[in-house]
Amino acid sequence: MNLVEILDENLIKVPLTGKTKDEILEELVQTLAKGKDLSSFDYKAVLTAVKNREELGSTGIGKGICIPHAQSEAIDKISLVVGVSKEPIDFDSPDHMKSKLFFLVVAPVSAASAHVEVLAAIARSCSSSVFRRMLEQCKSSREIIQLFAE
Amino acid sequence: MAVPFKNILVYIDGSEESISAMMYGILLAKQNKAELSAMYVVNTKALSDLVKVGIFLDLEKNEYQRDLQKDAERYLKHAQKLAKKKEVDVSCITEEGSAHRIVRDYIKSNDVDLLVLGGVSTIRSRRDELNSETDRMVRTVPCPVMLVREDEDLWETFE
Repeated sequence: MNLVEILDENLIKVPLTGKTKDEILEELVQTLAKGKDLSSFDYKAVLTAVKNREELGSTGIGKGICIPHAQSEAIDKISLVVGVSKEPIDFDSPDHMKSKLFFLVVAPVSAASAHVEVLAAIARSCSSSVFRRMLEQCKSSREIIQLFAE
Repeated sequence: MAVPFKNILVYIDGSEESISAMMYGILLAKQNKAELSAMYVVNTKALSDLVKVGIFLDLEKNEYQRDLQKDAERYLKHAQKLAKKKEVDVSCITEEGSAHRIVRDYIKSNDVDLLVLGGVSTIRSRRDELNSETDRMVRTVPCPVMLVREDEDLWETFE
């Protein structure tokens, strides 16, 4: 599975408007809920799963990238939400750098293999500083999809 | 090289395509009276890499590893069920590590003469080149490789 296969224009938010870590997490999960037409019950279940994971340790991995993730039965297949913030957000990353690039990955337990593949693919893509800069400069969902498809 | 094939390996990763590959492998083994094996590799290499880059905590790595082991059991059991429907024997193998390396090494040490895989990704980007495990298998294994495309007739054959 590669990222282009699961990227969905409805699951991309540019720019994110949240100003804090909690606001960003909520905005990402809201984008997922809207794009996937989740009930408010399922929205809350996903948000709780994401926040519970975050409490174990920050999913900010450094270099301005955050990859919040969780397993949840509230969705039926693996989903990726991409968000870009204009303002850098403090996400408690290990390098103390504030973050602009956010990837929320939520998958049911039965999709563990795809979940691992998608997380690895994000890490690979974001290892390039050129790619990170280009992603930060994207102004629309379409630009982001094109960038990943190049 | 044995033609027709006498020792067939199907790599299963849980995708629908890999289940199609399993069905194809079963039919091929029956037709050729070949030995058939099905392999699922728990990708512990990818899990360790995710810990290294800070995406996974050790605790999460262990949880996902357990989930993947359960996946392996579930999919290999399904493979056995499919083979039984066609009265074909299948050896099921679960391994851990880097999938393409494990498959390559198994093929070398067990004289496998055909690897059957679900199709490689159809939508792709330059960035993903050479990163898919099945793509890497195609490029690195020493035996012929058969890529099975989605085929409704194939699924109907097993219903």
